[in-house]
Amino acid sequence: MAEQEEETKNKVSASKKFTVSNRGAVFAVFQSEKGFKLLGILDVQNTLCARDAILHGAGGSVTAGLLHFLVTSRVRRSCHVGFAGFMLTTLGSWFYCRLNNAKLRVQQRMIQDGIKNKIVYEGTVLDPTQKHGVQTPSGPS
Amino acid sequence: MAHPAQVGFQDATSPLMEELLYFHDHALMIVFLISVMVLYIIVCMITTNLSDKLILDSQEIETIWTVLPAITLILIALPSLRILYLMDEINDPHLTIKAMGHQWYWSYEYTDYEDLGFDSYMIPTQDLTPGQFRLLEADHRMVIPVESPIRVLISAEDVLHSWAVPTLGIKMDAVPGRLNQTAFIAARPGVFYGQCSEICGANHSFMPIVIEAVPLNHFESWTALMLEEA
Repeated sequence: MAEQEEETKNKVSASKKFTVSNRGAVFAVFQSEKGFKLLGILDVQNTLCARDAILHGAGGSVTAGLLHFLVTSRVRRSCHVGFAGFMLTTLGSWFYCRLNNAKLRVQQRMIQDGIKNKIVYEGTVLDPTQKHGVQTPSGPS
Repeated sequence: MAHPAQVGFQDATSPLMEELLYFHDHALMIVFLISVMVLYIIVCMITTNLSDKLILDSQEIETIWTVLPAITLILIALPSLRILYLMDEINDPHLTIKAMGHQWYWSYEYTDYEDLGFDSYMIPTQDLTPGQFRLLEADHRMVIPVESPIRVLISAEDVLHSWAVPTLGIKMDAVPGRLNQTAFIAARPGVFYGQCSEICGANHSFMPIVIEAVPLNHFESWTALMLEEA
């Protein structure tokens, strides 16, 4: 009993561990056995499409900001452009990924229902794979 | 069930809860992006050298910060309303169970085919066997067949209660004199826990809900056994 309590306490304390970034502000919260949460709210590892969206956003941000700076040599404006690029790329990647995933889930449900219906109706009158009008022999001729 | 120090949702057992998790991720991403934008604006305002005390209005920025929030709200509202109406659909349930709230236990009635009813009391902490969960286990579980649409009619005998099972995405008030209806499908077998979610007296925290989803043949065996014991 005492050993079980110790194990439970260790698990609770492990799940509450977090590290603070070097700048002293908590921008990212690590939780062992759980995902990496951006700003402490968005679990990037365990949320579908989140990791890809953030990475695409970061890439889009750097690309847009850098290109703008190379063309205009304006630092502050380039930062603004980079930020706008981050927002638009993240949103675009997020919606694109989620839309495709939603279509996949619909297909998955249709396939599941189809398999279930096949099992239920196989061999019955309602079986669509059975040829209609075929008469079974009544007995030895 | 929840694990210690859990903050997020439990894994979904019903298709409805899957949709709710999906919508939650969608809303959270929007919230995250708004938070990032606000953070960036704060940093820009702190680090700017510009200060114009004579700005009275600006039609462009006013238009932007009216239209963008409206679009954001529409993006959140449309999937939200879709799920809201999805939750009210009752599609030909295979089984109807009545869940009645009492002080301080739940009773379940399976009256579709036979007259089966039983009470579900919490197992006290001192009576738990190793491996059982404190304040969550009940002496009689509500057993249901897996992958079958189930309708639950919820009411109460005395005061307000609330029948909630997080993994199924269900929470419905048990109101005396009123019959509330909800429906769900358990997509996978297992044992699912919930707790009373409306303050109902001294032992409000000690009347859990335990649902056990089993294959249909096991469910039929269980009902036969319960009828024999009754």
